[in-house]
Amino acid sequence: MIQFLLHVLVISSVTSCVTLGYNFVFGKGKILHFGQLVQTMVAAYGLWVPITQYGQPFFVGLCISISLLLIVTLLLSWLSMRLEPDGYGVLSIALHLIIIAIVLNWNSVTRGALGIPKIPRGILPSTTFGYAIVCVAVLAAWVFFLWRVDKGSFSRNLSALSENEWHAQSLGVSRARVHAIAFSIASGGSLISSILFSPYQGLLTPSDFHFPQMIFYVMCVVAGGPGKLWGVLGATTALVFLREGIRFVSISPSYIGPVQLLLFGAILFISVWIRRDTVFPKERKI
Amino acid sequence: MQLVINAFIAGSLAALIAGGLAFVYGILGVFNLALGQIALIGGYTTWWLYQVHSVPLPVSIICGMAFGALVSWLIFEVFINPFYKRHRFLPLVTTIALSMILDAVILMVFRERPRSILPGVKEQISGFGITISPVQIVMICTTLVFLFLLAYFLHSTSFGRKIRAVTQNDIAASSLGIRSGLMHRIIFIISGVLAAAGGIYIGIDTSLTPVLAFSLTIKAYAAIIAGGKGNIWGAILCAYLISLLEQFAIGVHWFGTFYISAGYQQTVALLVIILFLLWKPNGLFVSSSRKA
Repeated sequence: MIQFLLHVLVISSVTSCVTLGYNFVFGKGKILHFGQLVQTMVAAYGLWVPITQYGQPFFVGLCISISLLLIVTLLLSWLSMRLEPDGYGVLSIALHLIIIAIVLNWNSVTRGALGIPKIPRGILPSTTFGYAIVCVAVLAAWVFFLWRVDKGSFSRNLSALSENEWHAQSLGVSRARVHAIAFSIASGGSLISSILFSPYQGLLTPSDFHFPQMIFYVMCVVAGGPGKLWGVLGATTALVFLREGIRFVSISPSYIGPVQLLLFGAILFISVWIRRDTVFPKERKI
Repeated sequence: MQLVINAFIAGSLAALIAGGLAFVYGILGVFNLALGQIALIGGYTTWWLYQVHSVPLPVSIICGMAFGALVSWLIFEVFINPFYKRHRFLPLVTTIALSMILDAVILMVFRERPRSILPGVKEQISGFGITISPVQIVMICTTLVFLFLLAYFLHSTSFGRKIRAVTQNDIAASSLGIRSGLMHRIIFIISGVLAAAGGIYIGIDTSLTPVLAFSLTIKAYAAIIAGGKGNIWGAILCAYLISLLEQFAIGVHWFGTFYISAGYQQTVALLVIILFLLWKPNGLFVSSSRKA
């Protein structure tokens, strides 16, 4: 039981880093972005492929990962400004599927569906207890950083843009700058998760990056309240606990996946139903 | 030549689904991300009636499409209607939730095993450098008949004119006494019937598996974006074009030696989406609404 709770703590801390970053794009910015896993995949493979496949030191892998992530972040940010919101939503799904097709088919580098085994933990603790403490500490630092950002002018600019783009721009809010920062924050969450998640599992596999995982992020943001830092943190923790806890329910293993899908689909729908006036709000009227 | 035939077979399926999707997007302005699941429901219902209960094939097919229509209507009432007038992006999220629920139901009821409606039919006809099965010829012809009937319904009946009026201007059509709410429902049900027909097509041509749904939806999106969002005929034409591109991309040895792995086949459709969104966001055949 203790081991399970520690495991949930690790997974929810790592997942929260991503969902809290994503919350700035989808929740606060109302940008219809379904490509968060593009950033996470690029960060993870950019980091661990040089280290495990080519014997590079961690620092080199990290530099490659950040460089690739920066390119992807700027690309996504640029695309989000160039396209209509629904067009961008579909494009981000398309980008996700393209990256996962590359990961699955570029066997010589990524080892395809088998994934990359023996991801080293390096200086990270070898016990689950130690790992959980590190993850919680990293999450606390990340939450503090995001809380400060949330209280700052950037957050107000992002909210203003999401509410009325033209009015916000007429007041001097730079859409390009705000979008670039929002996507950078989301990428930061992805990078932290890539550093912590794969060594914990000891494996980097494409099965962790399929579209249902993206929907899980959307669900965490919608259920927690779009744009709400503490709400998303709570929702992520609760939903990770639910997802991991389902494995212990006495049902046939072949039904666990479908039951998870059914449950999360229902939670997402109910969350949208409850928050149907705030997920994509209308303009404020005086 | 074989590649063109293959493209025609795959394109006929994509055209059915993309046509329905374009119809819904053009009028309601909403993306339905659960359309692939509706297609599978149509296919699986037909398989269940024909293979498990030995109902005659034509009756099974009609029942499969009718069930697709029923499910579409229920989806409209629960997942679309309460949301799309509040914000047109809300159905995008609700249909994602719906796609998860339907995926789960399909997995629990039909399991992951491939299910073929006509598993024993392997007969092939060869000639002029091409190979095609009689079933595939029937499927292509049936799709064309379907599309022809849809064109007739839309352009030569008073009901079709009402639908087109709602497409052009919802409010103006309502002021002329056309019940736009009813039209929206009918349009959504028609898209469900077309999708269910697509699912039956897959079940007869190859086999049905639960994982197909998402790729079907994305390919249909590629077609409607390339064809001009909301332009049903543009979407149908682009469905055939994208299938042709997919076949040529993986079927041709480029420069004599280089070839693209079959694993990247779906990527072609996705690249089409991206290229069109970047360089021609309105698509090839933009439908413009009349101005007063």
